[in-house]
Amino acid sequence: MKFLFNAGCRNAAAFTLVYWLLSPSLLAAPTGSADYSVHEGYRDVPMPEGFSVVINELDGPVFVNSEGKTLYQWPQKEHRNGYSGEPQGSPQCGDEVVRVTAGLMSPYPPGILLPELDTRPSCTDLWPPEFADEQAEEVGEWTLIERADGRHQWSYDEQALYTSIRDVEPGDSIGGRKRRFGSGFGRDDPAYRIPLAPPQNIPPGFAIQATTIGRMLTTDKNEALYSFDQDTASSTACEQHCLHKWQPIFAPALARSQGDWSILERSPGVRQWVFRGKPLYRYLPESRSWSQLGSDEQGWHNVFTQPAPAYPPSFTRQATIVGEVLANAQGHTIYLYFCADDSEDQLACDHPLDTQVYRLAMCGGGDPDRCLQHWPYVLASPDEHSINRTWTVLNIDPTTGRPVREQDLVSTEYLRVWAYRDRPVYTYGIDKVPGDVHGGGIGEWRGQRNGLRAFWLRNDFMSGILR
Amino acid sequence: MSSSNYFPIKPRGVVALCLAMLLTVAGPVKSEEAMALTNGTIGYVFTDLFWSIYQTPGAEECPDGFNDGPREQFTALFPHHESLTVEQTQLWQEVQTWHPNTEPDGFAFHSVEGDLSWGLNLDGKVSDEDFTHPEGTAGIDNQIYRAVGCIIGFRGPDGVEYIFQDKAIFDSIYNRLMIEITGIDDLENDTRVTVNLYRGSDRLLTDATGSTAVAGGTQRIDRRWGQSLVRQMQGRIVDSVLTTEPIEDLIIPWQNLGVPSIQLIRDARFQLDLSTTSAHGLLAGFADVDTWYYQLIRNDSTHHLSNGQISGISLYKALRLFADAYPDPESGDNTAISTALDVKMTQVFIVEPE
Repeated sequence: MKFLFNAGCRNAAAFTLVYWLLSPSLLAAPTGSADYSVHEGYRDVPMPEGFSVVINELDGPVFVNSEGKTLYQWPQKEHRNGYSGEPQGSPQCGDEVVRVTAGLMSPYPPGILLPELDTRPSCTDLWPPEFADEQAEEVGEWTLIERADGRHQWSYDEQALYTSIRDVEPGDSIGGRKRRFGSGFGRDDPAYRIPLAPPQNIPPGFAIQATTIGRMLTTDKNEALYSFDQDTASSTACEQHCLHKWQPIFAPALARSQGDWSILERSPGVRQWVFRGKPLYRYLPESRSWSQLGSDEQGWHNVFTQPAPAYPPSFTRQATIVGEVLANAQGHTIYLYFCADDSEDQLACDHPLDTQVYRLAMCGGGDPDRCLQHWPYVLASPDEHSINRTWTVLNIDPTTGRPVREQDLVSTEYLRVWAYRDRPVYTYGIDKVPGDVHGGGIGEWRGQRNGLRAFWLRNDFMSGILR
Repeated sequence: MSSSNYFPIKPRGVVALCLAMLLTVAGPVKSEEAMALTNGTIGYVFTDLFWSIYQTPGAEECPDGFNDGPREQFTALFPHHESLTVEQTQLWQEVQTWHPNTEPDGFAFHSVEGDLSWGLNLDGKVSDEDFTHPEGTAGIDNQIYRAVGCIIGFRGPDGVEYIFQDKAIFDSIYNRLMIEITGIDDLENDTRVTVNLYRGSDRLLTDATGSTAVAGGTQRIDRRWGQSLVRQMQGRIVDSVLTTEPIEDLIIPWQNLGVPSIQLIRDARFQLDLSTTSAHGLLAGFADVDTWYYQLIRNDSTHHLSNGQISGISLYKALRLFADAYPDPESGDNTAISTALDVKMTQVFIVEPE
């Protein structure tokens, strides 16, 4: 095993293939995934004592510390006018409060005073470094980095590790996210903190993409994969004419079955990958990444390693000229609010505990009443309650946008609102009928940095519905 | 392998495809016209669509020069931004952009001062604010040109809006509008034809460079998501020029830079020079002002607007000032503004999806 790791360092691609095809350790199911029929598997890697892997309902397997707190990295990211985030081996998230803008996002210059400086947190206030104790020993990819104050911080792949104060329950990933929302132009997103995941347990040539409807299995070229109702692990009903539209995903001669994955020999020497008992195909007419076009064919389905958590039962799906969007009970499109400031530490401003200055400016020019007209909260009825860790009901003070504590409910006017990842969701005042999506892209940077993005469930005109 | 291999098509499409195959085999262009015009029907797909801007080489229509954009206005408003807060500067400017009003902003707005403009006489009248067509027709209604004609970003060939939209119309299937003219007896002169407007579902057929659309492609009608975009209008053809009667409203799917949005054109009508391989001319009508404005700022961030020196704050006031139709029943303020779009299309065989 030691040799293979060394070989992999010299040639990662070759190593990965050899590891997958020949390693007897992978003939056994990976450990840690509670339910293979629902949850995503992962590859075991050596970990320091105290760390473990839990299955997050949105992000799949993530590493957590001894308190169950999800670990995050903050990779360096290019913006319009420079970089933020952390290069490998060099923690940048500091203890001092950043006071001025960085001018990373054109056209605004650097040096402008940031909002609410008297209460603005430092980077480490929000993202506590994962410190190592004196006896800590490096294991595999887990190494130690010395911070500016001399303390040792855990890193993975030489990228410093943090936790988030926004995470409440073990395995939460409320603080950060793996992918941008929407599609295209991801460089204008903030430099997000990303939950740290163990290596995915998939053969070479495959990938897993976080979407609003689940963790989608694709090829490594982002082509959607499909299964057919009439197929089984040992037989296929897609032959002859069917193959004009559907291309089997072929497995190399040395590939072996393991865990969720097996092989169907369609004909002598022609081997097809099978995932959880269903042979995999690509839909040939598709031209866009992470597509759902093939699911329009009767009996065919996109393949997911785990589905997205259910949305509230009162919500609806509405057809638009783009695809399908999530909507409230009245059919009005639901929007997520995204916000991060233009500072070196790229602090988020989209959580109700973050500064509300940006949101109130954008939704109502600073006037909370106008905000309620332009971006109405999606109200939860009295009999509706949080249904999972992704979709929750919050008590929000509509004037401040802040959560109302349990003990203050009697004395404070509040709204019970639906939230996604603990962030309230909205409709848009200009939308009048089901299918209207006039609020998508409202706000700075097409809604990516201080504005709204529609909650797409299917988008046939952009590159999928990444989360 | 083309997408048509995967989609069984209805008889109309079969005929079109068979004819297309015949053309490929037979080679000579002799029958091209007959094939493009089949059973009195010909289709065209949009390849270019942008606001019609009459430009002279020396920009004489803009005697006061071009307008400043957000970057220049920010510098003028906040020369000492280091002593100010985000709320007082950056967010203030964003709020003015996203919650626009008609109050003066302190910046002189340079509108088009010339007399000439492309476009059509939409209301049949000749008034003081109307332009004259370069070929002499009076009463041209194109007040969007008056508002945006002296903004660099809207001027070709290198204005940021011009470039982005040009690319988006070509590349994005979301924007894939097409017309189907039916009931044609003669493509040069016909007193009555019907024009159906659809959205297509396919990429454009191009030459080997991939950047020039060529005639003879096939487009499936988007019946799944595009049904609400379907329109029908009546028209006539005189000397190969199609002129349609205005329809109540036309929705143009308009996406660039990844935000799907729309334009709403009231009293929309086409004036197109037709051939068997292409159509080009104007799409004109009255654009809903708010829809027009929010399409612009949703698709383009302040960064992109800055690159075209487009101040949304100033432009909104101009749009409202020059709006010339559809008064609000309560305030009396006009809610729509006359416009014309240059449109180019390439012949295409339009088929139903399976």
